[in-house]
Amino acid sequence: MSDLDRYIELLRSCKPIPEASVRELCHKARELLIEESNVQIVDAPVTICGDIHGQFHDLMELFRVGGDVPDTNYLFMGDFVDRGFYSLESFLLLLSLKVRYPDRITLIRGNHESRQITTVYGFYDECMRKYGSASVWRHCCEVFDYLALGALVIGAGPSVGSGEEECELEVVQTNGDITRYRRGHGGHLGGPPGTGASGFSGGSSQSAGAVLCVHGGLSPVIATVDSIRLLDRKQEVPHEGAMCDLLWSDPDDIDGWGLSPRGAGFLFGSDIVKHFNYANNLSLIARAHQLVMEGFKEMFDSSIVTVWSAPNYCYRCGNVAAILELNEENGAILRSSGERGGGVTGGIGGGGMTVRAGPGRRYRVYEAAPQDSRGMPAKKPVADYFLLQ
Amino acid sequence: MNNLRLPPPRGSPSGLRLRSTHSSDHSPASNSKESKDRIVQQTDQDASQSRVSAVETGYLHDDFAKAFCAQEGARKFPLINRGTFVRTTALDRLVNTFLSASPNQRKQIICFGAGSDTRYFRLRQSLPPDALKNLVYHEIDFAAVTTSKVAAILRNQFLPSADIKAVDEAAGYLVADGYYIHPLDLRSLQPGCQMITGVEPDTPTLFISECCLIYLSPEEADAIVRWSTGDFTGSVGMVIYEPIGGEDAFGKVMIQNLASRGIVLKTLKKYSTLERQRLRFKALGFVDGQQAADVYFISEEWIGESEKERIARLEMLDEVEEWRLLARHYCVAWAWRGEEFAVWKGAVPLQTE
Ligand SMILES: C[S@@+](CC[C@H](N)C(=O)[O-])C[C@H]1O[C@@H](n2cnc3c(N)ncnc32)[C@H](O)[C@@H]1O
Repeated sequence: MSDLDRYIELLRSCKPIPEASVRELCHKARELLIEESNVQIVDAPVTICGDIHGQFHDLMELFRVGGDVPDTNYLFMGDFVDRGFYSLESFLLLLSLKVRYPDRITLIRGNHESRQITTVYGFYDECMRKYGSASVWRHCCEVFDYLALGALVIGAGPSVGSGEEECELEVVQTNGDITRYRRGHGGHLGGPPGTGASGFSGGSSQSAGAVLCVHGGLSPVIATVDSIRLLDRKQEVPHEGAMCDLLWSDPDDIDGWGLSPRGAGFLFGSDIVKHFNYANNLSLIARAHQLVMEGFKEMFDSSIVTVWSAPNYCYRCGNVAAILELNEENGAILRSSGERGGGVTGGIGGGGMTVRAGPGRRYRVYEAAPQDSRGMPAKKPVADYFLLQ
Repeated sequence: MNNLRLPPPRGSPSGLRLRSTHSSDHSPASNSKESKDRIVQQTDQDASQSRVSAVETGYLHDDFAKAFCAQEGARKFPLINRGTFVRTTALDRLVNTFLSASPNQRKQIICFGAGSDTRYFRLRQSLPPDALKNLVYHEIDFAAVTTSKVAAILRNQFLPSADIKAVDEAAGYLVADGYYIHPLDLRSLQPGCQMITGVEPDTPTLFISECCLIYLSPEEADAIVRWSTGDFTGSVGMVIYEPIGGEDAFGKVMIQNLASRGIVLKTLKKYSTLERQRLRFKALGFVDGQQAADVYFISEEWIGESEKERIARLEMLDEVEEWRLLARHYCVAWAWRGEEFAVWKGAVPLQTE
């Protein structure tokens, strides 16, 4: 067994690897990442994931729900570290998988992949605790500087599933319930009434354009995907400017641009997204960065989606998580969705789901891994509350 | 192992030793009443560490927080600091509104589960001399908590020695000019109980419970509120800060997480919404006004723009949604009976659900 496979095995059982191995792994990863463009091109099929935040056991749950590497292709949109108790194991596992299967897994940078943020939000402390020195943290930060800023998924098909089960949008719930939404058939099947789904506006079942994946969102100084390619990304995340915005911004129900309550990046409205997508021939922007209680949230007529992959975030929020599967155009089914017979249709909570355009999407929703899952060390997490601990 | 002594008659300072203060009995968690109480007492450590963290990161100015913090903890995350800032600011505002009206009127504050709270000492710095002279301030907590507070006050000479009338460091008892620390189990307070030493039942009185009554059973907590309205004849007001909303996903996880540490929020279910908080006061005798707002509303509406900007610059808050979620699960509720509290009317923006 190669060293790499040994690291992977260790990390999969949530055990840290020796410091020298971390250095070697980070070195190899840098060599690989340096060759990547700021906006990596990724072919569908691919499964897109949002924030992980060191919730190692939930990352294992993600792989259980979404399929293992290298059987499933993955694209992680950053925020591997901070907040959770296993940032180190989570990030190093993803990194070793990246080195082992470079074409099967894509990692892009989140705003937490930064020296400054990791010293506030836990990753630095975790490295100090587990290794007694900052060198492992430093190795990881050097890798952060090389991570791509975004990815462009091409070749995604207009639907997921096949035959009877083919549809444009499918939500697979934790209990196996599947809700399918179709366009052309008056919207979705059997969903909650009054969702306006039948208002699907286009016979123009246009072939899906590309899907842009970034951690945060858009920037007022970036008009085209090509201009992202021109940035010099190999640095600490700056406090302002294009690179900062890509990692920090959020969509919001406003017109145009607004100030962000986060103190970095901007808020951007639906007009901005629609214009950007049109100008860049995008069918969808997938991004992470914001906790959504339901795991995913489509906004602005499905022109942008937030994918959140850290269930019960910070062991405190009580949310579910989701991953987004994009099928290959004219391709075989990505993965059988037959968890529970086919054709189950029913409303998803909240309603208001409308299938308009964009690639076929399957959201797999999942909950936090049970604490004692699979015999792995699961330190009892301690969540902070105001005044109560 | 427990050298628990019977509670002496209330009102005799020297004997106010409700339970062993030198707790040699750090037995592993058992289900005994003592070990449950100990867990509740330890919540003050978190409160105190949160205060120190908010001070050190620049959210709050507080010259006393550090001295009252028995054990330094790690710095808190930005959203916890912000929460500490908002609740402190909100309670200060209601307290100051009460105190600054008619400064020549004698007034009383009784703080339940005061723990390492610094409010009295901050008031000593900020109140005009008249208002301070007319204020009598009582803090109540378990002896296990008050002993270290009394010790810290003496060690740091936070009170002029001439002001101190009686003190028993081991018992956690202190009587000073206008300031009392009572080592007392709140569960002994109920309508008709013997009045606590130095408490003036006909002086306009503000009661404060900052994350305290929620640890008592609904019956015990209600009895204390009824005592506040029933055994006090003048104007009375109360401010409560505590979690709400235990019924949604966030609330359920909160209850589970705290339960795994042995902390039970006993009144959370009964007073889980702003509306229930208001009705609670109304039913228990605060008949003239009842209000409640969640911490998110308060952070948006009670804090001025310049202060908001100052706060936003202190730390990058990469937890915006989480902040909203958490902040909506805490509330400040306040209510009153009597004219001394009429100043609360229109004093702060009100939340309409
Ligand atoms: C979370 S702490 C809050 C401390 C302080 N009010 C603050 O906000 O910083 C709760 C306090 O309530 C006190 N407490 C709880 N139950 C009590 C009781 N039955 N009698 C006296 N004090 C009690 C605890 O000892 C603890 O100091």
